[in-house]
Formats: sequence, C-alpha cells, structure tokens
Amino acid sequence: MATAQVYGWSRGRSTLASIRLCVLQFVADPQWLIPSMIAPVIFGLVAFGLFANSGPNFLVYAILGAGMMSMWGQTLYGSGWATGQDRVWGTLEPTLQAPTPYLYVVLGRVLWNVVSGLIGGLIVYVVVVTVNGASPTLPNPAEFALLFVFVMLTLASVGTLLAAVYVYTRYAGFIQNIGEFAFYVGTGCMFPVVLLPFWTNPIGLLFPPTWALDALRYNGIPGYAGFSWGFGWDMVGAIATTAVYLGISTSVFRRVERQVLEKGSLGDY
Amino acid sequence: MTGDASANRVSFWRTFWANAVVAPRTSLGFMRIDFILGMIFIIPLTQISFFALTAQLANDSVSEIQFVVIGNAVATVTYSSVFSVCQTTDSEKQQGTMEHLLVSPANRLALYFGRGMIPILISLATVAMGLVYAVFLFGVPLAPGSEWALAVSVVLTAFAMVGFGLLLGGVALYLRTSIILGNIFLFVGLLLSGVNFPLSSLPSSLQWIGYALPLTWGLSAVRAAISGDSLGTLTILWGAVAICALVAYGAAILLWDVFEHRALATGSIARF
Repeated sequence: MATAQVYGWSRGRSTLASIRLCVLQFVADPQWLIPSMIAPVIFGLVAFGLFANSGPNFLVYAILGAGMMSMWGQTLYGSGWATGQDRVWGTLEPTLQAPTPYLYVVLGRVLWNVVSGLIGGLIVYVVVVTVNGASPTLPNPAEFALLFVFVMLTLASVGTLLAAVYVYTRYAGFIQNIGEFAFYVGTGCMFPVVLLPFWTNPIGLLFPPTWALDALRYNGIPGYAGFSWGFGWDMVGAIATTAVYLGISTSVFRRVERQVLEKGSLGDY
Repeated sequence: MTGDASANRVSFWRTFWANAVVAPRTSLGFMRIDFILGMIFIIPLTQISFFALTAQLANDSVSEIQFVVIGNAVATVTYSSVFSVCQTTDSEKQQGTMEHLLVSPANRLALYFGRGMIPILISLATVAMGLVYAVFLFGVPLAPGSEWALAVSVVLTAFAMVGFGLLLGGVALYLRTSIILGNIFLFVGLLLSGVNFPLSSLPSSLQWIGYALPLTWGLSAVRAAISGDSLGTLTILWGAVAICALVAYGAAILLWDVFEHRALATGSIARF
C-alpha cells in the first residue's frame, strides 16, 4: 500500500514537473501560441461573417467552433511534439529509462497543450465578442463551463493516443499538416456532424470530442439538432471512447518502454 | 565580351535549374512526396468541405455555398505557394546554408525563379484539383468555353502567389522565424481576399488590405472566368494579377538585396 502510494506520488510529481517545464518553455518562447491562435481567430471571424444575420445562436457556433479548432490544432501539433521533442533533443531514451513511466511525462505535455489551446480559445472568444459587440447568452453557463472542461479532457485523451502513435510513426508531420481540416470536418468543430454524409458519421464517432462537442451544443444551443440519441447518450459515448483512448495509449506506452529496452533503437531520428 | 555574356547565360540557367531541382529536396522542407500529394488531393477537399458545410449551416443558399466553394478551391494555393516557400528562409538558417547562399555569386533572379518553379507547379495542381472538386463534387457550374480563360487565371494566380511567398521569405530573413508570418498569410486570405464572403462586406480599411493581396485579384479572375465574363473584364483582372506578381517578385529581390548588404555589414543575418 505504501509502495503504491509512493508510485502514485512519483507519477503525479512527474506530470506536474512536465507541465512546469512546458510552461517555462512557453514563457521563454510563446511563439507556438501564435500559429495555434491565428488560424482559429481567422476561422472564428470567417464563421462570424458567414453566420451574420442567421440568428443569435450562431454566435455560439462561431465561438465554440473556432475555440475547438484552437484546442484541436494545439492537440494535433503539440502531441506530435510531445514525443518528437525527445527525439530531436536526444532525450527519448534517457526519459524512458527513468523510473516513472513515460506516459506520465507525456501526459503533462498533452495537458499543457490543451490548456494553451484553451488560451487560444479565450482569445477567439474575446475577438469575436468584440467584433459582435455583445457576448452570447447561454441557458446554463455553469453546466456549459463544466462540459467544456470535459471536452478538454476528451481532447487530452486523443492527444495522449496521438503522442503514443507518433512514437512509432515518422508521419506525425503529415497527419498534422494534411489531416488538420479532416479532423475539423470529421468531428464537427463548426457544424453538427449530422450535416455530413451518413457514411462518414461512424468515422467521426471514433473520436471522443465528436460526442462531447455534440453534448456541449445540446447544452448550450436551444433547439440544437445533433445526433438523434440526444445529450445523455452523447455523454455515455464521450466517456466510453475517452476511456478506450486512455486504455490504448497506456498499453502502447508500456509496449514502447519494453521495446526500447529490447531494441535500443527508439531514439533514432 | 560575347564569351562573358554567353557564360553568364549558362550560369543563369544552371542556377535556375539547380534551384528548381534541388530546392524542393532541401530548403523547401515541406516538399516531400506525401506532403505534395496531400496538398494536391486532400487539403482542397477537406478545406472546401469545411467551409461549404459551415456556409450550409449558416444559410442554405446554393449561390452562397458555391461562392464559398470556389473561394476555398483557389485559396488552397497558399499552402504550397506561401507557407512552403516562406519556410525556405528558416530551412536555410537551420541547415546553416544561409551564409553560403549569401556569399555565392549566383544570379539572384535565377535563384528565386528557380526556387519558385516547383511550388508554382504544385500550386497549379492544387488549384486545378480544388476546381475539379468544386465542379464535380459541389456542382459549381462552369460557363461553356471558359476553360482557357480559367486556365490563364489559375496560372497567373499561382505565379503571383509564389512571388508573394518569396517576398514573405525575404521578410522572414530578418525575423527569428518565419512560422508566424507564414501562418498569418496562410489564413489571412480567407478573411480579406473575398474567399468566403464579398470584400465589400468588410470595413473599408480591411478592404484596402485585401486589395493589396494577390489572392484577391487571382480569385476575382477565377470567378470571372467561371461565370464566363467578357474578355475585357478578364484582361483587367489578369493585368491586376500580373502587376501583383511583378511587384511581389521585384520586392522580394529588393528585400534580399537589402538584407544581403546588411548581412555583410553586421554578419548577423544568419542567426537562428
């Protein structure tokens, strides 16, 4: 019991140290927020322009969509860098040899990516509300905020899985740059996924944020017509897929750790 | 004298081809075959779908959706022409080749045009694919007999946009990194070039910025060609795109010249 507690503390401390390092790196060179912010702010303004005169609820669509794109962008690019940075700097193998599982180091980086994406989302909110001249009205602001944090967690689970996959693939750059819009479309960042052809919906539902975002819109937009099963099953789907993502990433990271001991080739760049 | 001129000509074309062939593999770091295919086939489809569906949600009007579809089909040109080309400066700095480039006697005009050649071809392919998606998947009507006018508009747009990318690459020479500049101009056209809504719906100050961007004129030329406008209208728009291209290439060469002199004076330009 005492040993398990020590392990728990050690892992928590590693995650916190990882977040702290990310914050310090960010403060030293915050340029990475700018690319992740420029696109969402522009998309937010474009959506605002397109949604002009379409009704009051569309302000929520524009802000939520662009904010989600900020967090998605940061997750996509940041997760690649979460493991890629160790390759570039030659710290992948030493970090993997540390007593704390690598997963907890990556988790800290992924959590920071989501938080910095949220900062981008807040900037989007400020810009769009300033242009609009009024903030949107939400039926249940407290529930909405809680659900928003949950959406962030679902994104963090995707980020963790992507970071795990990026350890094995050299195609992180391709997935990030070429697949960026595909993720935005497939998970319905700016519009309900039900607008897409029906055959694409199962692909979108493989991603936890698709479920969570649909639930968030059910909560925040009166009269929203998303998936026919409604808010409750959206939440069930989001929780289940998030759990599966975390399970798979844990398993992949364990495998990575074994492999590095067996082959010693993981840090090849 | 004649021998010198001939040698210069040979040197010009050698520099041009060397840069056209080598740059995509070195300083144009994004120009891997998987990226090229993704840029040509995937990005236009996903970007057009994203904005078309957003427009559909906002206002289910066919003409507005088609406006957005054409705009984004052409706007995808910025990935290869602006973002990738702008990144060359970073690549040169990272790879430590900037100093060698600055002290080489290579003809600068040949160097810039050579570097721009493959991005121009990729830009052409990207816009062409975007327009194929627009016509065949999104049902954008193409005026009969407008193909050649459309081809001229697309070629001029690609040429002008690569010039703009080279110009940004020149500005990036003075910056610590080009990633911010590249990102700004990768997406700013979506807002200021009449891609998703007419320029007239923007405040007048933003409209003026939009008119300074080559994408605005290129897109206007493409829209005019698709709707079968008269040759007179098209000629004016082509002229505007050509002027944008000339200004961009001229300013790019001028900027590099200025920064080269600065590099010689301070010895600090290649710091990364």
